[in-house]
Amino acid sequence: MDRSSEFQDLVRKYLNSLYNYALVLTRHVEDAEDLLQESLVRAYGGLHTFDRSLRFKPWIFTIIRNVQIDRQRRRRVRPSEAPLGREEEAEPVVSTESPLYSIPLAPEDILVRRETVERVRDAIRRLPPLLRETVELRDIEGLSYGEIATIVSRPIGTVMSRLYRGRNLLRTYLVESHQRPGEKGVGVRSDGL
Amino acid sequence: MDCNTAKSKLFPYVDGELTPELRDQLEAHLAHCSACRRLVDFEVAFRETYVERLGPDPAPERVREHVATLLQDLVQRQHAGHGRRRFRRFVFSVAAALLVAVGLGAGITLQTYLGTGTTLPELANAAVEQHQKLVRKLLPPDIRDVSPKAAEEWFRQRLAFNVSLPDLRTEHLHFLGGRISHLREVEVAALEYQLDGNNISLFIIPEEAYRRLHLTDKPRFKVVSHRGYDVIIWRSQGAGYTLVSEIGDRACQVCHAPEEKLEPLPRPSAHL
Repeated sequence: MDRSSEFQDLVRKYLNSLYNYALVLTRHVEDAEDLLQESLVRAYGGLHTFDRSLRFKPWIFTIIRNVQIDRQRRRRVRPSEAPLGREEEAEPVVSTESPLYSIPLAPEDILVRRETVERVRDAIRRLPPLLRETVELRDIEGLSYGEIATIVSRPIGTVMSRLYRGRNLLRTYLVESHQRPGEKGVGVRSDGL
Repeated sequence: MDCNTAKSKLFPYVDGELTPELRDQLEAHLAHCSACRRLVDFEVAFRETYVERLGPDPAPERVREHVATLLQDLVQRQHAGHGRRRFRRFVFSVAAALLVAVGLGAGITLQTYLGTGTTLPELANAAVEQHQKLVRKLLPPDIRDVSPKAAEEWFRQRLAFNVSLPDLRTEHLHFLGGRISHLREVEVAALEYQLDGNNISLFIIPEEAYRRLHLTDKPRFKVVSHRGYDVIIWRSQGAGYTLVSEIGDRACQVCHAPEEKLEPLPRPSAHL
């Protein structure tokens, strides 16, 4: 099979994942489609750089993210669309040695209540962009920490920190969705730390 | 390993991301710590109940159709490119043989004719291809819902040549948006309009690129008919302009009011 046919097959196979990632980055249905198409054009042009010994998804996700960064630079960012780079600069750093890091939020209550899968999916969509991106790449796309680190151009420690905060915040959302108004949360800061 | 360290390794452990050494240490701790073991069990149960059943948001049917069209276009364009390269190699081979046969004088003539710069038909072809992609929304606009003046300012901040947009306001003409695009690898401003429901693309190209076309000054407007599209090319105010539409000289209303008296356009100089 030639590279061009292989590319088409892989895009068709992973189209939901590619569209979903574009949606995670843009947060707008229309922009997601634009980003996806522009990324596919770029990926096709750079097909010769794709190392077949590696997985296709991390390679094309990296391209989608780079295209989105370029688009944001070109547009000088819409007010509703925070640039990926600027968010990263403001990101709090949580060391894996920090006491906060050592208290994962046990999902016992959530398991007892039997949430629906769709409610969990909705809670992931509500996560702050960078935390959502990491949780989606790991828990939905099944990428390794190393692959995610390559895609987002950050060290593995940052990926672990985002994943930790994202998963804990997700559980907070799920617990809070069942609490009465005014009832206190479960000891996790609203930013997921 | 104490409980705090064990808890900090819980996610990487369940994710299968711990080194063998750390994994062994953690499992040794779990073997005698029921509290930490319980956390791991909950985490595993959470994954089995929810995480493993999650999937990406599905691409809508519309997106599937657009992507299928895009993939087809990409492959066709690549095949066309291969064909053109094979043809060029053939032409250059013939040219080389002729150079040997008839000498340097003929060689100069051939070089002018076969020069690597873009020709008028090639520019027209590239403009039509871009126009089709813009109309089919395969190339999304970088800016939309702005005035021509705002778009002009936007392009001037990003392109290193004089981008001057017409600012006609009539009820029939609508400026849809624009993007930075490429014609034969030259960065251009690509603008989309609609006139009475007809799509029109206007490409503004650097004057230097226009000069490389080696066009004569007269007639001022060059008209090329290509694949059913009308392409009008001219130079003005330090830039080259290429207008693509299916409505002939009516597309001139992008730059001129309908009541303006314009010089008649020449007949198409090339049918490709």
